[in-house]
Amino acid sequence: MFKSRGAAWLFVLPALILLLLFKVWPIGVSFFESVMQTSFSGRRSFVGFENYSYLFKHDPTFWNSVKVTFFYSILVNPLIIIVSLTMALLLNGGHAFTKFFRTVFFLPTAISFSVVAVIFAVVLDPYYGLANSFLKLLGLPGQPFFGSQDQALWCIIWLSVWRSAGYWMMYYLAGLQNIPKTIYEAAEIDGANGFQRLFKLTLPLLTRTTSFVLVSNTAFNFLMFAPVYIITRGGPRGSTNLLMYESYTSAFVNSDMGRASAITSILLVIILVFSFIELKITKAKFEY
Amino acid sequence: MKKPVTIKNILIFAILTLTSAFFLIPLAWVLASSLRPAGSLYEYANPLTWKTFFPANITLENYRKIFVDLLFGRAILNSLFVSISTVFFGVLVSSMAGFALAKFRFRGRQLIFVIVLVTFMVPFESIVIPLYVLVRGIGLENSYAALILPGVGNGLGIFLFKQFFEEVPNELLEAARMDRASWFRIYAQILLPLCMPAIATVVVMTFMFQWNSLFWPLVATHSSRFEVVQVAVAANRMSEDTSWANLFSAAIAGSLPPVVVFLFLQKYFIQGISGTGLKT
Amino acid sequence: MKRFIVVLLVLFLAVGMTTAQNLEVLWMGWPKDQVMPLINEFQAKNPGIKIDIQLIPFGQLFQTIEVRLASGGGTPDVYIVDGPNTASYAARKYLLPLDEYFSPAEKNAWFKSSIKTGTYNGQFVSVPYGTSSAGLFFNKAIFEKYGVPFPSEKISGRMTWEEVVDLAKKLTIDIDKDGKPEIWGICIEQIDRPYLLFPLMQSLGAEVLSPDGFETKGYITSDKFVRAASFYGKLFNEWKVSPQGINDSAIAREYFGTGKAAMMLGNEWNIARLSKFTNLQYGLAPFPYFAGGVPVTPTGSWHVGINPKTANKEAAIAFVKYMTGKDAVMKWYKLNGIAPARPDVYAALPADFSNPMWQLFLHEMNNTAVARPDTPGYSQYELILRETFNAIHYGADPKKSLEDAAARIDRELKRFK
Repeated sequence: MFKSRGAAWLFVLPALILLLLFKVWPIGVSFFESVMQTSFSGRRSFVGFENYSYLFKHDPTFWNSVKVTFFYSILVNPLIIIVSLTMALLLNGGHAFTKFFRTVFFLPTAISFSVVAVIFAVVLDPYYGLANSFLKLLGLPGQPFFGSQDQALWCIIWLSVWRSAGYWMMYYLAGLQNIPKTIYEAAEIDGANGFQRLFKLTLPLLTRTTSFVLVSNTAFNFLMFAPVYIITRGGPRGSTNLLMYESYTSAFVNSDMGRASAITSILLVIILVFSFIELKITKAKFEY
Repeated sequence: MKKPVTIKNILIFAILTLTSAFFLIPLAWVLASSLRPAGSLYEYANPLTWKTFFPANITLENYRKIFVDLLFGRAILNSLFVSISTVFFGVLVSSMAGFALAKFRFRGRQLIFVIVLVTFMVPFESIVIPLYVLVRGIGLENSYAALILPGVGNGLGIFLFKQFFEEVPNELLEAARMDRASWFRIYAQILLPLCMPAIATVVVMTFMFQWNSLFWPLVATHSSRFEVVQVAVAANRMSEDTSWANLFSAAIAGSLPPVVVFLFLQKYFIQGISGTGLKT
Repeated sequence: MKRFIVVLLVLFLAVGMTTAQNLEVLWMGWPKDQVMPLINEFQAKNPGIKIDIQLIPFGQLFQTIEVRLASGGGTPDVYIVDGPNTASYAARKYLLPLDEYFSPAEKNAWFKSSIKTGTYNGQFVSVPYGTSSAGLFFNKAIFEKYGVPFPSEKISGRMTWEEVVDLAKKLTIDIDKDGKPEIWGICIEQIDRPYLLFPLMQSLGAEVLSPDGFETKGYITSDKFVRAASFYGKLFNEWKVSPQGINDSAIAREYFGTGKAAMMLGNEWNIARLSKFTNLQYGLAPFPYFAGGVPVTPTGSWHVGINPKTANKEAAIAFVKYMTGKDAVMKWYKLNGIAPARPDVYAALPADFSNPMWQLFLHEMNNTAVARPDTPGYSQYELILRETFNAIHYGADPKKSLEDAAARIDRELKRFK
């Protein structure tokens, strides 16, 4: 560690100014909103933690949203990591087809979530969509997908994986190519086989990438709402009612900034806790 | 580098093809539908025929329509400009901050780090109103600056660079200091070249973040000359109808530029880091 | 010398006065090639006013309006208003009162129900731009194929819902007996939206909201309302004549247009938008009603409002009068196909509107149309009800769902009192 305080501040200042101005200040205002209630005529009054206590004690949809959000996150995050890591491992070679497949997997990332949601609503149409056509071809019964309480959330998970895996694959590719080939050569000389190389060398060496992907993906998925807003509107029967969707409708439909901000503050705490746990887990495994 | 065709290669190819099926099929259908004359949505989805993915009459009319009648090209250019500018400034600013946080001990360091972490855990939707008021207040509303600046400061990017720089041995820097190099020279000539993977990551992250932004451009600018690509794509969904053909062609056309950018970048950043002198 | 200075001053002032006024307009994201001709024409006729129009995709429209207006500035100067949101915007002082700019004679140009929607607390605040109506479209080929006589396309032959269900049962056909009909009896264009479903309740005589606009308990929980809601739920769950999960009107139209549904309860814009299905032969029957009840049809659509803090009031009013005026609305109809809110446009385009389908809609707009209720809390009222209808169509118990909804809605509406 170096002690040149002047230099340190000069280097950190541009980012700090930008973050303070365009992120911290609005976030502060948003927290401020969560302890206020704005009446319709614009009168603001300080209400302490009433917005929060209402959510915890009297709001019927809040706890359902928490349940749905946790269920979604615990499933989607590992799934995305496994899929993107696998794709990166498979596409790390210099084979002729890697460029093509990398492109194919990456393409959905450049389509906004709103449009991806529209595409999936059509492809997974309960009666005439592409997916059901394939099932019919294979002799399987058609599925209601977004129309089923049991399947709708899984469809959103599928949608998220489809849209995001290619993006995280790029990070894993960068991480993989950062591992010098000499390490593998040494391992082969030592007689390590493919699996041992994968689990004892590659994965530990990718820990930094994994921790980054995990933390940012966790935050990203806790804040997910676009497919819910476009396709399911929280249904069927609340089975896809993610917390961020609740916050979004509170803010932009109900003009209830207090409730909206209270929910996002709660989400922030959840994300911080999860991130902290994730960082601790991945750091423990890090050996070089 | 030509590798021999081994069983392992065939297996890999098979797995890839299967996984690709999941990824490719919706995309292929969207692509095929965009190349068909605008008509019924489900006509070729159900039942499934070879025509589903290979249109009988291929036409570029949908693409012509969005580029000529709906000025899609302008949206792409706007997004390219905004994304590339944000990347340039973002990499600069984030790497400098990451350097400071990783290598210097100074008062306020921990606090700044917490600030950095928290900023990417808060959803944009919860800060959009105060952010808009602020941007308007400093006179940036309806400008490219309004689109670029808020995206330059990036908590994740700073976090990434910090992690990366922490692994650079201090001896390297001390040696340079003994040679009386300025901190800026050390940053520019020693550290930056070393962190290509981090730069690559931040480039991808920042570029995609800007390329995908939909709500902020709508709020922060109001003149049509600033229209960005996701707005142009989403505009095909209207209150009383959706132009499926235009929506699909716009989605495809709007997703190609990032793909091209990254295919191009792969050459420069992801490969060829063997001469970095760090890990031997 | 003095004269020179005076001339200079006059020139200076003249230049100042002819500098263009800039109007910021926030508009719905209709296609550029449809909207710009109107904008260009206005600018050509009003060289002192420059229009900076922003076309916002529908999925982001209301949120963007909220952000812009909540931040309290003078822009946008003019913005598009979804009719029923008028009360919400007006209550929050986001709409300029317009009575001094529109004479009663001018206001007569629009449908009475549109004017009513555009009025809040006795003040005229949003100018009608479009309106709507709905009816029962039916696929002639399917009716013929299965030997069912066509429904009457005349007002006098308006069917009851019971008769409609009868037809729907006959025309829900599962050809390969896999449990999924290839042809559905009826599909509902906006499957869970109060807009299209209120007429069922109102046909039975139920009221959908308290007269003061702040309470739903006792109204959406009344026996009549619940009865209509149960009927609606049975379409999907008991008689199974309607497909569940069609949550986009464009998709419902695809179903009907490609022969996957024998009937569609849908809006007037389908007359224009069904034309892309070249093989479709369809007819239009009047919106059904309940036996023993009254015929009720939905109505209402877009309005235009002015920001009270605008710095360009005269220009804004000129622009609004132009866009909602007979000429521009005629052109807009030809470009876009949404029903005009002005009767004089219908009279001026006999070629378009003299056909029986439009005549049917016009009759409904003038006689059976009931506008959506007036309440500042319309957005949340509508959203919660929509979620409730959605749950009912997926099989939830109507009575319980509506009682839960009433509790949630009333809690929200209390904030607006």
